[in-house]
Amino acid sequence: MSEVPPHREGELAFFGRMGAHVSHEMRNVLSIIGEYAGLLADLLEAAEAGRPLDSERLKQLSRNIAGQVAKGTETMQRFSRFAHAADQQTASLDLTALVEDLVALAQRHATRAGCTLKTQLPNEAIAVTGNPFRLQHLVFSAIELLLAALENGESVTVRLHAEGSTAVVTMLGKAPITTDEWSARVSQLSAAANESKAVLDTSCTEGILSLTLAIPIQ
Amino acid sequence: MEPLTILIVDDEEDLAFTLAERLTLRGFRAEAVTSAIDALQCLSKEKFGVVVLDVKMPGIDGLHLMAEIRQKYHTLPVILLTGHGSATDAERGMRAGAFDYLMKPIDIETLVEKIKRSIGPEKGERL
Repeated sequence: MSEVPPHREGELAFFGRMGAHVSHEMRNVLSIIGEYAGLLADLLEAAEAGRPLDSERLKQLSRNIAGQVAKGTETMQRFSRFAHAADQQTASLDLTALVEDLVALAQRHATRAGCTLKTQLPNEAIAVTGNPFRLQHLVFSAIELLLAALENGESVTVRLHAEGSTAVVTMLGKAPITTDEWSARVSQLSAAANESKAVLDTSCTEGILSLTLAIPIQ
Repeated sequence: MEPLTILIVDDEEDLAFTLAERLTLRGFRAEAVTSAIDALQCLSKEKFGVVVLDVKMPGIDGLHLMAEIRQKYHTLPVILLTGHGSATDAERGMRAGAFDYLMKPIDIETLVEKIKRSIGPEKGERL
């Protein structure tokens, strides 16, 4: 049996982690909808007992429920695109949409780490050809790596632009502290990047740590 | 009789405030906050009868907050809420001194029953 490289072992774990994260997110959405529906029932019951019914309050609750349904639908659409990325070994894909989906899915992960994620994405699609699932893993791992070096309350900015025949994803954050363990994770991610024909680069200037993924546009 | 005061702590603002409103409609005086820091501030200013606390929160999470509550307000009952698929965190919380726990989505009548039991059978029956 051939040996599985360490960066590969993480792929299944990554898929599982994202699934767990989205199910947690959906449970929250459903809980909130449940509370709103419960409150509507409470207010109607109170009205039957003689308490005046505030129609504006009911309209607001109805809007809140619709808002949560929209939030849940968006999360599921993003997760569906994420999951279907594993369907094909090679495909042409829109890197702008991929980064946007991943950042949205990783937002709560960042919040839990006490950080925030921001994006600076182009308005147009940047088409690349590659293994969609590995590209997702690569970008997400780079975000995670930067988050691991950040202090609480800091933010990560994810930028994307095209430079000739290369798509460049840059993750920036104020992160002065990196450890040997962190550097080892960079080496591991760099190996994974090479396998996707991408190049990972790190630099630190004036306390701003940046991770850059250069992905060929084929 | 003064209504029982309940502090709800959950980083999901919509959930925390709606839950507070529903408990208020049931005769409690409920206040909602969305972080552990706000919760500690509230507890230092006002006397609460029960704390309903989400386990997973950014920054200081529910279990750490509960440890602080246990240290400062020994007899204040804490009921944990968990949205996690497994009950592991909640069970850890129980071992660390939580009165009880509830999985999300919350059944309000179950929560009310647990709140009443948490303050003792006699006081709870009078609510």
